[in-house]
Amino acid sequence: MAVSWLARLAARAPVPVFPALGMRGEEALYRLALSPDIKRVDSPRHASLLLVAGGVPPSMQQALRRVHDQLPAPFTTLWYRSAPLVELPQAAVTTVDSLDALPGALVESHGRLLRNTVGRSPRLLPDAPPHPWQGLGDDGHGGEGMMGGVPYGRPMAMPPTADLRDGLALDILTFRLGPFFPLWPPGFEAEVTLQGDIIQQFSVRSSPFPRALAPVFHEARERPVAIAVLERARARHHLQALFHALHLAGLEDLARHALRLADTCPSGDIVLLAKWFTAFERRLRRRGFFVLHLPKCGALRKKQAESQGGFAARAAGIERDVRAEDDGYRRLAFSMMTQQAGDTRARWRQRLAEIAQSFDLAARAQRDDMHTAQTDAVETPRGAWHDTRPKDTSHLLEDLLPGLEWGEALATLASLELAALSPWPREEPAETPEEGAA
Amino acid sequence: MELLVLFVILILSLAAGLLLQWWPGRHHPMPTYPQRAPFLGGGLPDTHAWSRFHVRYYPMALLLIAFEMEMMFMYPWAVVYVAQGMKAVMEMGMFLAILSVGILYGWREGVFRWQ
Repeated sequence: MAVSWLARLAARAPVPVFPALGMRGEEALYRLALSPDIKRVDSPRHASLLLVAGGVPPSMQQALRRVHDQLPAPFTTLWYRSAPLVELPQAAVTTVDSLDALPGALVESHGRLLRNTVGRSPRLLPDAPPHPWQGLGDDGHGGEGMMGGVPYGRPMAMPPTADLRDGLALDILTFRLGPFFPLWPPGFEAEVTLQGDIIQQFSVRSSPFPRALAPVFHEARERPVAIAVLERARARHHLQALFHALHLAGLEDLARHALRLADTCPSGDIVLLAKWFTAFERRLRRRGFFVLHLPKCGALRKKQAESQGGFAARAAGIERDVRAEDDGYRRLAFSMMTQQAGDTRARWRQRLAEIAQSFDLAARAQRDDMHTAQTDAVETPRGAWHDTRPKDTSHLLEDLLPGLEWGEALATLASLELAALSPWPREEPAETPEEGAA
Repeated sequence: MELLVLFVILILSLAAGLLLQWWPGRHHPMPTYPQRAPFLGGGLPDTHAWSRFHVRYYPMALLLIAFEMEMMFMYPWAVVYVAQGMKAVMEMGMFLAILSVGILYGWREGVFRWQ
């Protein structure tokens, strides 16, 4: 009796969901973040539901099994535009293909899970320690000489690399993080060696999944498109990236605000949007986003910034923007903005300035119905797209992150856009974002 | 009699405490190893996350004890020194000599070098 009453009560609470993002799964994440019935959690330990959004390549299925097995029982899984793992029983699997139906399906699965015992996901991996104890004796205390045992096959703290901070010799800790780590781009997997909280080595094991852009960027390579639509899509892209950075900084309310602004971008009144964004930027400053959460580190060298392109290059003082060469933009008196420092803080200052600039350009372009003039190149939010699409640049991190503290490294990673550009555009919702419904 | 009553109360409260701990988890087996592993977004650690480090304050603590022990014994020694005379001076000399070996050792290990 008491248990059923508790279960009913629990079913009414927001559903704790851990999203494992596959290819092109970000849209599901943005939808969940704004849904009041869903509580997105950053660790499977806090979740009752595992949402796999987007395709998972076969090479990452073992990692997905590991994430799956880390949810505390009872739990169930939901697959959004993804093929479920074959070993899962049919009852434990719900598949959804429509973004609009996703929050409802999650709530329903959660209710079903709490009401009865069918549909509970089983454990997929064998119940064995990943690294069995290798020391001598019960506590690994036996061994040779002063160094004692070798617990879990690890010798005493004698790091092979020179210490990077203060000479305090800590044990080194090597692990592979990803591809479903929620604070990293989806699909990104790296081998990290930490000493304390300092990154000593960072090697990329798998690049992030290619990032899909709004269809208008692909159309702009074929024919002239309305500058207003292009700039709205650009602002939306940057605001969605800002959502991740604010989530990482722990500013949840501001993160959701950024996402709501991003959702309004395609069709909202552009003058109002610009005004809201100015107020939002002021709130960011007041809450200390720049000073407290964006360290002055992770500066790209000139060559790195050039290979990265886009806003990251402009934040490092490189004046390169395809829009400056477009006659349509010239008629709008487009002026390029740059920063000098090229570090994490400068990148976000640059990005926010570019969002404000996009709103300004969109407002003027909408008034005069301006279109782009050139089609052989387009400035995407990721960088210039000339003959080839911007490529993956995640290898930059191997040089950029060693020496940084863990928090600084995460902030640096969130300030960069490293994934390659997907050859296919993102699927847009049914309504066409044409010329702004003012 | 009182002791027996106290003992019974102790046993009963211990039993109640253990029962309270065991009762809610009696149907829940230990979580599986994969569930207990640290969450790394699907990745695996190479080793246990039991991180050890070099205790740098250790020589400093030894040095403090070396100096402090001297002072601790010299206060009562100062009181009995007049009454005991030469014997007290020799005993204190031996004690200080032993402690200074520790300080010399610390010196050799570089505890006086401020880094």
